[in-house]
Amino acid sequence: MFGKKTLVVGRPAFFDAVANIIESGTEVFAPVRYEDQANFRRINSVGEVLWGKPQTVIPPKFIIFPQSETLIRYEMNGGINVSSTLDSKPAVLLGVHPCDINAIFLLDMVFSEKNVDEYYMSRRKNLIIIGADCLEPCSDESFCLRKDSLTPWGGYDIFLTDIGDRFYAEVGTKRGEELLSKIASKPSGDDKKKLKKIREKRDRLFNRSQKKLKPSLRDLPRLLRENYNSEVWGKRGEKCLSCGSCNMVCPTCYCFDVRDCLDLDLRRGERLRAWDGCMLTDFTRVASGEIFREERGARLRHRTSRKDLYLFEKWGKPFCTGCGRCGIACLTKIVSPIEIENEIYEVSKR
Amino acid sequence: MTAYEPEIARITGIEELTGTEKLFKIELSRDRFDHLPGQFVEVSVFGVGEAPISISSPPTGEPRFELCVRAIGNVTNALHRKKPGDLIGIRGPFGRGFELKDFRGKDILFIAGGLGLAPLRSLIWSVLNSRKQFGEVFILYGARRPQELLFKNELRMWEERKDLRYLVTVDVGDESWKGNVGVITTLIPQVEFNPRRTRVVIVGPPVMYRFVIKSLKERGMPDENIWVSLERKMKCGLGKCGHCQMNHLYVCQDGPVFRYDEIKDVPEAI
Repeated sequence: MFGKKTLVVGRPAFFDAVANIIESGTEVFAPVRYEDQANFRRINSVGEVLWGKPQTVIPPKFIIFPQSETLIRYEMNGGINVSSTLDSKPAVLLGVHPCDINAIFLLDMVFSEKNVDEYYMSRRKNLIIIGADCLEPCSDESFCLRKDSLTPWGGYDIFLTDIGDRFYAEVGTKRGEELLSKIASKPSGDDKKKLKKIREKRDRLFNRSQKKLKPSLRDLPRLLRENYNSEVWGKRGEKCLSCGSCNMVCPTCYCFDVRDCLDLDLRRGERLRAWDGCMLTDFTRVASGEIFREERGARLRHRTSRKDLYLFEKWGKPFCTGCGRCGIACLTKIVSPIEIENEIYEVSKR
Repeated sequence: MTAYEPEIARITGIEELTGTEKLFKIELSRDRFDHLPGQFVEVSVFGVGEAPISISSPPTGEPRFELCVRAIGNVTNALHRKKPGDLIGIRGPFGRGFELKDFRGKDILFIAGGLGLAPLRSLIWSVLNSRKQFGEVFILYGARRPQELLFKNELRMWEERKDLRYLVTVDVGDESWKGNVGVITTLIPQVEFNPRRTRVVIVGPPVMYRFVIKSLKERGMPDENIWVSLERKMKCGLGKCGHCQMNHLYVCQDGPVFRYDEIKDVPEAI
């Protein structure tokens, strides 16, 4: 286990280090602005990095768990030759915010437990994560503070906080330490004071401006279990378009479909997996036609319960990190976990 | 090799059971294949896809097994077009199966509805192959129509055996059908069993469980003496893809076989 270390690094020195990584050919991904939106893209220069708002539309999980990826390739030639396609190369993910770092922290747990997912893990092992502190809320929909996700739980190599002319760097791994070894120094008492002040100001700002979670965080599993038959599910479900947008933008959703794709020669093909969504009608449909979660409200309940009941209880962490993306993406504004949980809490007290 | 890479297997024989079901004999090139009754494999028809299919034959340790498959989806229809000698892919076996130790020394009541006989056949023959280790054996089987009855030769053998009681019913009869007509629950009053000594195993379409369990409960059957095997959509078999989840349980890993007391409070189960 790597003991947590803290360092400070000058901005120009850090940017030079990133430039050197880009120069070496290693892929570096970071939030990049385009028009009034942002998304994670491969960058060619550190100047492209968007350090603050707006939040990326899609979380960075696609870098380790692509929207679609080949699992096996095969060739039918009298016999059948099958080969797994594990492709992964070193990469750096820069400027990731705590909600997304924590989401990756959670995905690491689910993909590395029994039946280890080699595809995810091979990319993950090759990925250096350099996080960036959030000093102001990224949207009105975000509620990371309420999900204990304003601070990363782990999973990062380096986590940076802007303290003016320099970055305060929390180092999570040996890899991260090596990256900074030549350019960083120990923080002075003054640096630590600065960091403390910035964080206190940040905490006050988030606490003042982010929506409140009415039940306590650790009480969510019990609340969801006890209100399994709450009218809230059906009422919100009625408005659901079953579009699956909430699943697609979620940093912790990891359900996937597996399907075959045959080349035009009908001899070679591949089996790929692609993101799937539990809010889609056919998600549980079997060949006989039976749909095991047919009601939209039941699907909404499943999605919310997966985040803050089933997986929360299993792993001890909420599987919604409060990024707020689903609340933004939802066309009928029914899906935001914090709003559902607050409503259920209120209704249950009646 | 990753967990998604299937082993290549050969279809060594195909038996047409009904108009929609075929029994495929599968052979792997490895030395052994070990499975439990109730477990399933992911079957690949390359170029079409994968489907979860329960193993129909009792465990032998040999690298050979049987799959009873209804032509109903893309993969199963493609499988039905295969000929003996053709190659398919196999991953697995997956999931939790039936453990014979839970049934030894007990009376056993098998209740199969429709295609539910396919997985149940693996357990039935496991029991019949070491018949002396078990008490009384009842087999109740229901199908929609007489022509949909599976494994007709074996049904005749069970009918003639003196060491078990076999009852069959169809939802809708025809001119030649002389037997019971009615849903499977109509057979339950026809058997005498001691609820404490009996273990019940139910496999059938999703709609069947609630009614069968209700009739059994009325006869005093304790929850922990009832076993079921549940069907769900399954893509990975590894507890990751999420399709088979019912509340907190993954059917592909925690099931498909469950003891009823484990799932009676799981609202999405039955």
